[in-house]
Amino acid sequence: METPTADDLLQFRDYSSTSATNNGAPAQINVNSPTHASGGGRGGIGSGFGGAGGQSSTQRQRGDPLADLIYDMSTSAQAMAGGGANNAQNATLDGSGGGGGGGGGGSGARLSFLTIEYYQQFFNVDTYMVLERIANSMIPKRASGNYLRMNIGENPDLYGPFWITVTLIFSIAISGNIASYLHHASDGYHWHYNFHLVSYAATCIFLYANILPAILWALFKYSLKPVNEADAVETDSATYTPTLLSLMCIYGYSLAIYIPVSILWVINISLLQWLLVITAALLSGTVLIAVLTPALRNSQFSLFLIIGILSAHVVLAAGFMLYFFHNPPESPVATMPLPTAPSVLKAVTQAAGKAVLPGNQTH
Amino acid sequence: MDAKLDVSTKSVISLKRNTFPLIWQMFEDVNTSPSPSLEGDMSIPGKRTTTTTAQNGVPDYNTLDEPIRETVLRDIRAVGVKFYHVLYPKEKSSLLRDWDLWGPLVLCTFMATILQGSSSADSMSDNGPEFAQVFVIVWIGAAIVTLNSKLLGGNISFFQSVCVLGYCLTPVAISLIVCRIILLSVQTRLLFFLRFVTTTMGFAWATYASFIFLGQSQPPHRKPLAVYPIFLFFFIISWLVLSHN
Repeated sequence: METPTADDLLQFRDYSSTSATNNGAPAQINVNSPTHASGGGRGGIGSGFGGAGGQSSTQRQRGDPLADLIYDMSTSAQAMAGGGANNAQNATLDGSGGGGGGGGGGSGARLSFLTIEYYQQFFNVDTYMVLERIANSMIPKRASGNYLRMNIGENPDLYGPFWITVTLIFSIAISGNIASYLHHASDGYHWHYNFHLVSYAATCIFLYANILPAILWALFKYSLKPVNEADAVETDSATYTPTLLSLMCIYGYSLAIYIPVSILWVINISLLQWLLVITAALLSGTVLIAVLTPALRNSQFSLFLIIGILSAHVVLAAGFMLYFFHNPPESPVATMPLPTAPSVLKAVTQAAGKAVLPGNQTH
Repeated sequence: MDAKLDVSTKSVISLKRNTFPLIWQMFEDVNTSPSPSLEGDMSIPGKRTTTTTAQNGVPDYNTLDEPIRETVLRDIRAVGVKFYHVLYPKEKSSLLRDWDLWGPLVLCTFMATILQGSSSADSMSDNGPEFAQVFVIVWIGAAIVTLNSKLLGGNISFFQSVCVLGYCLTPVAISLIVCRIILLSVQTRLLFFLRFVTTTMGFAWATYASFIFLGQSQPPHRKPLAVYPIFLFFFIISWLVLSHN
């Protein structure tokens, strides 16, 4: 479908067939309650479906039951097509502002959380936006002052956090296995692949990326500084607390720096490993604090929150390095396998597992 | 009226006709022949003479009369055609149009059987993934990748995408077989390098094939966003293949 010009959008054109616009999406009937006229009309005019949308909204006011049915079906069709084509179209025209508008229009239509279109509004990002957010999370001061409120707050996405955490889990597990293989390659130790690293890494990272933003969100809401309406100049920004989704988005992207770092942790030089921990934690910790400054300013415990955020980040990085990668070179013993911390923990867990589920090992 | 009626019946009927004309008119079209014949055909409505599948995949021919071998062979041939199209990805419509999950099931079971670690008495050594872990990674991984491309606005159905991802495991399975054969001899660095090259080729082939099938269904500004999870999915499975020993 060719990019519509400004003239196209300003005219009320009736697009002939849904197949040309839907690109083969299956026709479905939305059994939700009728959407608001304002939401459907706004989304309709914005994307050039204004002909059908405009006529339907005028018909609806007559209260005719047939017109109600037509309106419902046309708005549900627009919600199907608008979720996909609207976002793509808006993205070609406006970039992040249009994406925010399209996302806002979609949520204004009050979709049920049981439909897939409800979740599409959290994936309303393009490639360059994801790359931009990753770069903003690694380089301090790259993002603007109101990044949290204007950029992430308007269009929080779940694509970045989810896939960055999954990539981080597997990169830590794979690099951890490579590190232990290289460490034991010189001995006669017969190396076995340790699949449990995946589960440990997954638990750790998901807890950090989900529980910590929730705690932070609760703390922000609880510790909001009371605002005197007469004194404050900007009450709007003084009462600002970030939404839970924005915090999860920020935290998810802040883990992106650990992906290349985890590959570099394979190099078994202790000094280098610690240097990497400090550098990565400082960089992404600084970015976290800088991005969260508008919200931290409004909190009573701002100092404690800053210390808490930074220390959680440092503890996470150091924990990864020590548990998965820290294999300090000891005096080589020929026959006994070296009791490094991962293998000891692994053995204990496996023994516990075997005791609890005796029947698990039979194939 | 029927000519088989004898005269006495006709006279009775004519008598009744004269005495109760209105009532008779109500029953005039009743067939009073002794044994109405019931004949007909049992045929499937809308049956066509061609043997090609219709647009929605429903076969048009009559499958009640054919031998079972014919039915089974038809499905096997369809699965075989899909394997062929994955290995030489030129024409993409057949995988998408007539999707089925037999190929992915066979491949997944085969790979999980080979990849599972054997339980050993040595408590210090750990093993490869269990059968269930590989199974879950393949199916839940394919479901998550499909969900991701749907959420990004792709216009492909759920099972079509799972079907394509499952069939594109074929090169990875082939590389697993080759690696298993290489592992039969004593390991050297050269053989490890050979396994590495084989696994990398299988991974690249799988990603390229699935990109051909699934790449068109995404909006153009989000294509890398949708392709990256597919890349990650095949990377993880190839890693499992490579680290198996």
